[in-house]
Amino acid sequence: MRMTAKLLAAAVVAAVAGSTASAESIYAPNLSYRTGPFAATGIPLMNGQKDYIDMLNARDGGIGGVTVDFDECETGYSTEKGVECYEKTKGKAIVTQPWSTGITLQVLPKTNVDEIPILAPGYGFSPMADGKVFKWAFNAPSSYWDGASMILQYIDSQDGLKGKKIAFLHLDHPFGKEPLPFLEKKAAEQGFELVPIPVGLKEMQNQSAQWLQIRRERPDYVVMWGWGAMNAGAITEAVKTKFPMDHFIGVWWSGHDADLDLVGEEGKGYKSISWSFPELDAPVMADIKKYVVDPGNSQSNEKEMQGVFYGRGLVISMILAEGIKAAQDHFGTAAIDATQLRWGLENLDVTEERLAELGMTGMVPPFKTSCSDHTGHSGGWMLEWDGAKFVKVSDLLKPETDAIAALEVEKAKEYADANAPWPMNDDCN
Amino acid sequence: MLSEIFVEPFADMVAAPDFLMQVLWEGLVSGILYALIALGFVLIYRSSRIFNFAQGIMVVFAALTLVGLHEAGVPAWVSVVLTLGVMFVLAVVVERVVLRPLVGQPDIILFMATIGITLFLIGFGEIIFGGENKVMITQELGIPTDSVVFEPFGGLLILEQKDITAAGIAALLVIGLLLFLNKTRMGRAIRALGDDHQAAMSVGISLQTIWVLVWFIAGIIALVTGIAWGARAGVSFALEVIAYKALPVLMLGGLESISGAIVGGLMIGMLEKLFEIYWGQPLLGGNTETWFAFMLALVVLLFRPQGLFGERIIERV
Repeated sequence: MRMTAKLLAAAVVAAVAGSTASAESIYAPNLSYRTGPFAATGIPLMNGQKDYIDMLNARDGGIGGVTVDFDECETGYSTEKGVECYEKTKGKAIVTQPWSTGITLQVLPKTNVDEIPILAPGYGFSPMADGKVFKWAFNAPSSYWDGASMILQYIDSQDGLKGKKIAFLHLDHPFGKEPLPFLEKKAAEQGFELVPIPVGLKEMQNQSAQWLQIRRERPDYVVMWGWGAMNAGAITEAVKTKFPMDHFIGVWWSGHDADLDLVGEEGKGYKSISWSFPELDAPVMADIKKYVVDPGNSQSNEKEMQGVFYGRGLVISMILAEGIKAAQDHFGTAAIDATQLRWGLENLDVTEERLAELGMTGMVPPFKTSCSDHTGHSGGWMLEWDGAKFVKVSDLLKPETDAIAALEVEKAKEYADANAPWPMNDDCN
Repeated sequence: MLSEIFVEPFADMVAAPDFLMQVLWEGLVSGILYALIALGFVLIYRSSRIFNFAQGIMVVFAALTLVGLHEAGVPAWVSVVLTLGVMFVLAVVVERVVLRPLVGQPDIILFMATIGITLFLIGFGEIIFGGENKVMITQELGIPTDSVVFEPFGGLLILEQKDITAAGIAALLVIGLLLFLNKTRMGRAIRALGDDHQAAMSVGISLQTIWVLVWFIAGIIALVTGIAWGARAGVSFALEVIAYKALPVLMLGGLESISGAIVGGLMIGMLEKLFEIYWGQPLLGGNTETWFAFMLALVVLLFRPQGLFGERIIERV
């Protein structure tokens, strides 16, 4: 009898110890791509993401007293591998960060069943903003349609849009095609001609045909939705064909310092819309250096840390961390689960004051999410390559949220109907 | 519709001959680079009947080694020599570790072994050089980077000096290769081995030496290709996918023919560019280069299964 009591006591102790251990960390996997054709753009982003979480773990002991277990599963930007990574990590994950529009679209229906929030900052499917339809998906702080809207507004403010011809150079991939519905709608409304020019995955580094078409079409502007090696291929062709660089504007994934380093001074004037900016003097950078770089725990290097993509990686992890914190505060527990994080991501309120507290003023515009708005529509800045680095050349640009919201609702409904029966979030009004 | 297919493209060509010349030049440059990659495949296939799946990653590995050595402070031309040394060591290791133990195995086993080499080089290369895009040391190698501008028919024709240089070096490489294969003892030994392994070995030709030699030559071709492609858009693992462009060249030109690789490469480079610009973009929304070469090769295979220049083998049973 005494033996049985001892065994029972041991089991209770073990159970308590086990639950304490699990409460000490929360599992936040990242479906990263440090290898393959897109690695050049993936590495600085992944390094920024990881360094921010490592800094929180080292400086604050994590978030709300629990450390964040930031695990990477390598996808090589392959949709198939991404789905495998999702399946492998979903068991104890409180979030999935798919890192590709293709992977996001594949895991989107699965997350409804598995009840895991998707965090896809600045990428994925733009209608994910509609939280009534996409209960588990978040693409704060800006969607691709936001980006397209801001670029068009910028062009309009420079030369006017009516009667202009805009070439849309894009990767022939779900990511590249994502802004087309919005651009087509705006072309009809605002009277400009849109010329879509796709670039195949195998042609990313040999875009002479695409740039011959640009030469023949003589567009007023080239807008690029490029990624990975496509950016470098396009920028070098633009220089080669003497296209005016100040009329060449990329989405935020086409504004990577290393791609412009290839052409240096000749790329002067090239622009990229961006919802993030690297503020090298921001207090967060000093903390990253003190708690991660100096102890030798960063995979980054000084040059990369000064770039746009590394800074964006920091912001992306900040969004996750703020979601975790919001959930912890609301539910009064440190070891939150996926459902609770979903609430946190739906109630983000990143104000100027909060950014100042985080030491990230100027690195991302303020934004706020809600049940019906999973994007936040933060807006962004137009950046310009000055021959050596990107600089801000505009005040904060804001997307046309009314025009975008109408299209979001329309396309979200189309998606839900095409994937019926699709669960709707009836709590959202 | 018929007019859009049969009349308008040719009217466009006549109306803007300078643009047509630019299209042909861009196609020629692409074709030369496709031909270079295809040559690497052909050389190894001729001597060993191995379809070398690793040729694409060898291009990346050679280019990354060159840039990596230079970044480490080695002068540009010394880096070239050292990179050639690395490619030679790679050839020896491949022969000793991978090919020699598999002598006599079915072709498919050797093909699978080259997939293994590819995966190893991807992983090894990423550990050593990282996955970031790197700038090719074009200027350090003395390759001119300016453009030559002509105004034919009152229009505009821009030729990049680095493309002209690449074309010249590729031509020299091909001539050198042909001279080596036809005029030297070693070259004849390679050809003999390709014709009949057993017969060649019976007259004292060393299989091991020849395999090291052809893999080394494929490494030299990979380095030249890597410099030429890298000068266009940087050096990264994305370059590997360019190797797939050599597959239709091989289908068209035949796996065993050096002249087939050259003619096939040039044909595909120029025809796919012409088709994309004058038919693909106006009628099909563009991006036809991803499939046009394969369709062309398929049509050729319907009539000549051995390719345009491949050997017709008659097997009697």
